[in-house]
Amino acid sequence: MSHQLEPCEDRRLRLLLTAAEDSTEYKTAATHVESCLNCQTRLGALAADVQEWSEARELLTTNGDDLQIEQELRDRPRRLSEDDRTSDDDRSAAFNSAVVRQLLSPPSHPEMLGRLGRYEIERLIGAGGMGVVFKGFDTELNRPVAIKALAPHLAGSGAARQRFAREARAAAAIVHEHVVAIHDVESEQDPPFLVMQYVAGHSLQARIDRDGPLSICEILRIARQTASALAAAHEQGLVHRDVKPANILLEHQVDRALLTDFGLARASDDASLTRSGHLPGTPHYMSPEQARGEAVDPRSDLFSLGSVLYAMCAGRPPFRAESSLGVLRRITDSEPRPLREINPQVPTWLCRLVEKLHAKHPGDRFQSASQVAELLQCCLAHVQHPESHALPESLLESGDRDHAAKARTRVTSFAVIASTLVLTGLGALAVFLPRWHSSPADDHNAGPSPRTVQSESSTSGASVVETPAPPAADVSTQWDDEVDAALDRVEESIQQLDGESRQLFDVSSRNSIEP
Amino acid sequence: MPSDLETRASLILRLPDAADVEAWNEFTSLYGPLMYRLARRRGLQAADAEDLVQEVFTAVSRSVERWLARKDRGRFRAWLFRIARNRAINFLTRPKHRPQAAGGADAANQLAAVVSPDVAADVFDMEYRRELFRRAAEQVRRSVADNTWRAFWLSSVEALGVAETAKRLGMSVGSVYIARSRTMARLRAIVREFEERQS
Repeated sequence: MSHQLEPCEDRRLRLLLTAAEDSTEYKTAATHVESCLNCQTRLGALAADVQEWSEARELLTTNGDDLQIEQELRDRPRRLSEDDRTSDDDRSAAFNSAVVRQLLSPPSHPEMLGRLGRYEIERLIGAGGMGVVFKGFDTELNRPVAIKALAPHLAGSGAARQRFAREARAAAAIVHEHVVAIHDVESEQDPPFLVMQYVAGHSLQARIDRDGPLSICEILRIARQTASALAAAHEQGLVHRDVKPANILLEHQVDRALLTDFGLARASDDASLTRSGHLPGTPHYMSPEQARGEAVDPRSDLFSLGSVLYAMCAGRPPFRAESSLGVLRRITDSEPRPLREINPQVPTWLCRLVEKLHAKHPGDRFQSASQVAELLQCCLAHVQHPESHALPESLLESGDRDHAAKARTRVTSFAVIASTLVLTGLGALAVFLPRWHSSPADDHNAGPSPRTVQSESSTSGASVVETPAPPAADVSTQWDDEVDAALDRVEESIQQLDGESRQLFDVSSRNSIEP
Repeated sequence: MPSDLETRASLILRLPDAADVEAWNEFTSLYGPLMYRLARRRGLQAADAEDLVQEVFTAVSRSVERWLARKDRGRFRAWLFRIARNRAINFLTRPKHRPQAAGGADAANQLAAVVSPDVAADVFDMEYRRELFRRAAEQVRRSVADNTWRAFWLSSVEALGVAETAKRLGMSVGSVYIARSRTMARLRAIVREFEERQS
């Protein structure tokens, strides 16, 4: 087809679409295309046919009406990418200054950022899936406060507002020296916000990130204070569900830890997680029953407290893996690496206490936060005055042998058992090994089982996935319809919601698309 | 009632293999914006569109048991896609029980007339394809030189002439032809790859 001096072969042109730009063939062909009109056109045709070019144009063009929708999609603060290890920092980046301005009224003082009700806002101190936290100043009571405002995209949702208010009120009912006090809940405001005690300091997470493992005295003190805060919450019938170092604030100067974000984790997850399908926060401190989506009670918080204790001792969380799936599997299926292997300074009795908190079955843990607080108090007294304060009995139960010795004993006895089994024959192996494997829970006092050590040393956490036994439920052939029916109900309720919001049209018209 | 963090954790644990978790992640990131757009154009307020997306994801994640219980369950990805598509079509074909309020979306009016399942299916498939293209475009944009991307965008999406594009970007005409074709070829390859994975 070509009358050019250079051969205008498709084969050469295709190189331009795929070959490396610094290859000789590419450069030769590129020079040719510069002057050959035929090849310029032909190149486009080789990349895609006419329909495909026009389809791409049509699909990638955003027309005027949709610009606002696209903007909303971009503003959704939790559009997470494939990676579910996204940190809080990445999320806070989504709260740009425009969003913040949108939340606040103009300041009455030039050095302030803005105003929210009777509060002057000084600066932004944090952001998460649910909203933003400001440092502010209560102009009536003359005191600094921390103000948490619901994100604008949630403020319009009746469900999110209600949940925000409900959880905040429940949390406000807990008055305790180690719980961040909630002064005020403004759920009718726009945006809804809650006013909390301002704690000058940093989170336990920041402290661990900076310094690594803490001293034993500090560990015991922070854990005791956290346990007492949990006891107060549990007394009010409130399970925290998100006990983790980032939610424990350490006050500057004073040796005081304060637990925060009571139940609020739920309000935020509500809005953020299912939307993107990604975990909004860290699953590292979840309990096994939480991870499995089962009912939780106060003892779930105790498991998490065990993980916080572990993190203070080790400088890192107990259950780690490449992916959320890996972390959750570890939480439900394996024991963490023995603390003393990571930090030999940790006394064995403290390891025992953590192990007991980490029992997979809630019934095998301590049964109340106040019991744990008391125990930690005794431990602290013992560490500070060993001569006058003995360790609590319950932590001495299996003698005072250290882990290493125990581990050696176990390895030896395992070797003896194994060789016996080999002698007894393969039949015996088939009988005994499965039983031994299936009883990790029997062993929570005895340190790590060999199985645990093995999985802990495996580096491919994400791929270690066992296929669960299929549920015994009968196989329904109507499954698609049932799912659809369930979804229909969901939609009906949303439509109803939509209808209600339209009745309040005057109030909600600011949310509608402007031409 | 468990929090959604917990719901999701349990979903992850129930899925028989890591590839399924990946499928779920991809499904939600693909289907989320798509459903949101459809709902908004259909006239739902921003927050309600948000709620719809979340509720549907939650409901779907809770019905995973049914998929797991099937002996011939097939691929998780295909199952997710099928119920999501049915869902969207149902949503689009259901008559709106309220007239569009004044000041509402003009765009919504186009869809307000949509009642036939065939048309709804077309709307969904087209929006689905749009989402695939957007994602592919985002991926290509990140992987090519800035000028290469802009040469493609200006000359094909914004339909600026090649000569004009070359002038604006300070490139030769030949290199604009190459840049736009090269980008297009890559875009199509990625879209094809997405399609094969989803089907």
